[in-house]
Amino acid sequence: MSAHPSHDHDSHDDGAVHAHISSIRLYVGIFLALIFFTVVTVGLSLIHLGPLNLAIAILIATVKAALVVTFFMHLKDDNRFNALIFVGSLLFAGVFLAYTLNDTGRRSEVERMQGAYVNDATGERAPGGPPVVERAVQPGAGAAHGGH
Amino acid sequence: MANEAQVATLAPIDAAHATTDRDFIQESAGIRNWLITLDHKRIGLMYLIAIIASFIAGGIFALLIRIELLSQGQTIMSADAYNRVFTLHGAIMVFLFIIPSVPAALGNFLLPIVLGAKDVAFPRLNLLSFYVYVLGAILALASMVIGSVDTGWTFYTPYSSSSDVGSQNAVIWMTGAVFVLGFSSILTGVNFIATIHKMRAPGQHWKRLPLFVWATYATSVIQVLATPVLAITLLLLIMERGFGLGIFDPRLGGDPVLFQHFFWFYSHPAVYIMILPGMGVVSEIIATFSRREIFGYMFVAMSSVALALVGFLVWGHHMFTSGQSEYATMVFSALTFLVAIPSGVKVLNWVATLYQGQIVLASPMLYGLAFIVLFSIGGLTGLFLGTLSVDIHLHDTYFVVAHFHYVMVGGTVFAFFGGLHYWWPKMTGKLYDETLAKVAFWVFFVGFNWTFLSQFILGSRGMPRRYYDYLPQFEDLHRFSSIGAFIIGVGILLMLVVFIRSLVGGAKAPPNPWGSAGFEWQTSSPPPLENFSRTPVMTRGPYDYHLATEAELYSGFPEDFQKSRNP
Amino acid sequence: MSTAHTDAAAASHDSGHSHAAHDDHGSHGPKFLAHHFDTPVQQFDTAKLGMWLFLAQELLFFAGLFVAYGIYRSWYPDDFSWASHQLDRFMGGANTIVLLFSSLTAALAVRSAQLGTRKQTSVLLLVTIVCAFGFLVIKFFEYQHKFHAGLLPGNLFNPDIHHLSASTQGLPIPAHGGSFFGIYFMMTGVHGLHVIIGIGVIFWIWLRNQRGEFTSEYWTPVDLVALYWHLVDLIWIYLFPLLYLID
Repeated sequence: MSAHPSHDHDSHDDGAVHAHISSIRLYVGIFLALIFFTVVTVGLSLIHLGPLNLAIAILIATVKAALVVTFFMHLKDDNRFNALIFVGSLLFAGVFLAYTLNDTGRRSEVERMQGAYVNDATGERAPGGPPVVERAVQPGAGAAHGGH
Repeated sequence: MANEAQVATLAPIDAAHATTDRDFIQESAGIRNWLITLDHKRIGLMYLIAIIASFIAGGIFALLIRIELLSQGQTIMSADAYNRVFTLHGAIMVFLFIIPSVPAALGNFLLPIVLGAKDVAFPRLNLLSFYVYVLGAILALASMVIGSVDTGWTFYTPYSSSSDVGSQNAVIWMTGAVFVLGFSSILTGVNFIATIHKMRAPGQHWKRLPLFVWATYATSVIQVLATPVLAITLLLLIMERGFGLGIFDPRLGGDPVLFQHFFWFYSHPAVYIMILPGMGVVSEIIATFSRREIFGYMFVAMSSVALALVGFLVWGHHMFTSGQSEYATMVFSALTFLVAIPSGVKVLNWVATLYQGQIVLASPMLYGLAFIVLFSIGGLTGLFLGTLSVDIHLHDTYFVVAHFHYVMVGGTVFAFFGGLHYWWPKMTGKLYDETLAKVAFWVFFVGFNWTFLSQFILGSRGMPRRYYDYLPQFEDLHRFSSIGAFIIGVGILLMLVVFIRSLVGGAKAPPNPWGSAGFEWQTSSPPPLENFSRTPVMTRGPYDYHLATEAELYSGFPEDFQKSRNP
Repeated sequence: MSTAHTDAAAASHDSGHSHAAHDDHGSHGPKFLAHHFDTPVQQFDTAKLGMWLFLAQELLFFAGLFVAYGIYRSWYPDDFSWASHQLDRFMGGANTIVLLFSSLTAALAVRSAQLGTRKQTSVLLLVTIVCAFGFLVIKFFEYQHKFHAGLLPGNLFNPDIHHLSASTQGLPIPAHGGSFFGIYFMMTGVHGLHVIIGIGVIFWIWLRNQRGEFTSEYWTPVDLVALYWHLVDLIWIYLFPLLYLID
């Protein structure tokens, strides 16, 4: 008996588990691709591309992650609902990041009174204020951090 | 694989099995057999006992708060003690009582039964999650012995990361307890989703799932996706306190508002962990005692899922006055109003189900109807708070306190007690005193409104929440509210009397005392160890009163229901 | 209310969904089949679903750290760049390769278990454990250097100028380096904890394999532990560029 008519892609009449077995060549190939991308990402990090560096690093990491998930973790042959769980959880993590950044990156843009506080002792701004132009912090200025 | 199983339907357990099979309570007696049991029904009952104990503990703290607020200035305790008492009231009620109340206790008991399964998908994981809960409860107790937290249940930084009031690291113990309790919640969620997906009996397809199952499913999704964020938040807080990480503590370049984002990313969806199962219970009760198919079944089911998903997008409405970006504030406020839609769909459908139903005002139904009224008040006052300009005035006042008590107590606790009355005969095999149960309900209902309606007024006049002392003009209302709290206490005590009397000398319950078409009523009361003597084949939905046979519906019910049958 | 309704009619209505069902406690099928499941495939699918749900909560658990990282990097980009240069790219890269290799052996262990070659499965599981230990050893040396150089979280951040990376010589010590190292130690610490737990669980699966519990018909636990291990790898794939390779 199958308790679950709509999601059992693997279910056959005998009720036994029929696995999709990949070849060793495929696994080793994926591994070599992962090593290749690791080398590429280290190499690219040595070239100065500004903000593009972060974007490329994340893109390459995502390609690597996709390879791991699809082949090592067999999501390719797995129940599609399991893939939905995986993608869905990433989506919620994305909501978490995007919404929080929408706050922390844009505080006091409307009302400048709000959010921009300066620590009198150090002259530092508390996080989340309007964009700080002069970033140079003198060595040893952060009282708590002791400098040299 | 006997073919006869294919034609076995929901018809009551055949007599031969019913007499030979012992029920799950008789099966293997002895405390040891209970403590190591893998049976979901026993685990559910163990949860129930632990949860009711937590409820009583949290309730005692609530009464202490209300006694202190009887008069201005010091009444029975110091300000420091007061801070600890309201923190413990909140933390115990939220983490030890409400969150596990309906899913872990009632859900554990019922889910496999209504699916037609022998057990949940992972029985050992189920027992583990119970013991993880117990471990969390012990840690919470330890924090009280050590010196108690006084941060409020929200553990806001920088107070929680730096305060030395209270004492040696009680914050670490309490957050550690909540961290552990979170894992109990996650494991239950994982277990239930897998159970609902894979353990359904033949014929039990998605469109036949009881609405309680849909609500539990939505709840479990939140438990799995939101609770881990609470876990990492508390871990960061513990580390911040222990080593000064510099993430939440502003002295080290951290941002305390970030803690609020982390905390509410979990705790707002957690509000739906608390209310959704209650909505599921009420859907079952309304259908059974209206003798009608629930109006707009798919809308009610989908509104549970919608609430679970939309619930993830609105956490910032707890932070309107925290100094977060105005853009974030606007987005969160606008999205907050979206939550009203699925909530409204549910209320509309329940009321529409009542229309032209054969309404039986049994004790569970009283709780169900009270839920609709009280949840509506709680939900609509939520819209006040979601409105930016109004919230500036009402934020952190008793208006907020009254609002969430209307949702959490008027909603979840009423639903939990309604469900407890409704399924009591199934769980224990005993009937209880209907008349006394109704008296207890009315005392509870009156006491609840007495306590919290006055708090709406207090809040709108500017009384801040969590304050130890207050201005003279608030004294009358505070006193009024405190009297209500004691009326609630009497109501709860009466209810406990009803249940204890039922356990000690209650009459034996028939399989289907309420005459419900729901699946759980088709097996004996209490059910046998593996729920059904053979794997059932579901041939109709749980609300198909027009398809249910007379035998299925009325196997033996108290006399007053007989009248309602023949209008 | 009293519609005529027979069981047979209802059963035929549902014939598309109802298969033969077990009703007997005696003849329940293979030994590895738990009592509350009807078929091995139901048990297998359920276990996989449960594991994926567990992995989903793992992802959200780590998501909190990634969000903290994203926010502090957006606030203090220069401090993060400075702090990142204090990390040893060579050791981080080596650890990436070690972990990727262990992921390969874990995947091959599953394949071997599916084929029922028990000895090979054991060897592959042991290689995975050895790689995990290798990862921890490299991590240990990295941590040792950070402690030595005073590159510590929050208020413990007190860098010793003689132990800093050559690439940042002459640059001022950033005020918020402590935030970076707070996040660094949390991320790698929680990840390292997962590696340690992984070693324990893989060892347990190895023991069970040695006892002969797994056959070509039942290898679910090997599959599940490999899924967990791949997730640990997956997290590291993101940690490596985000922590070690900031320009």
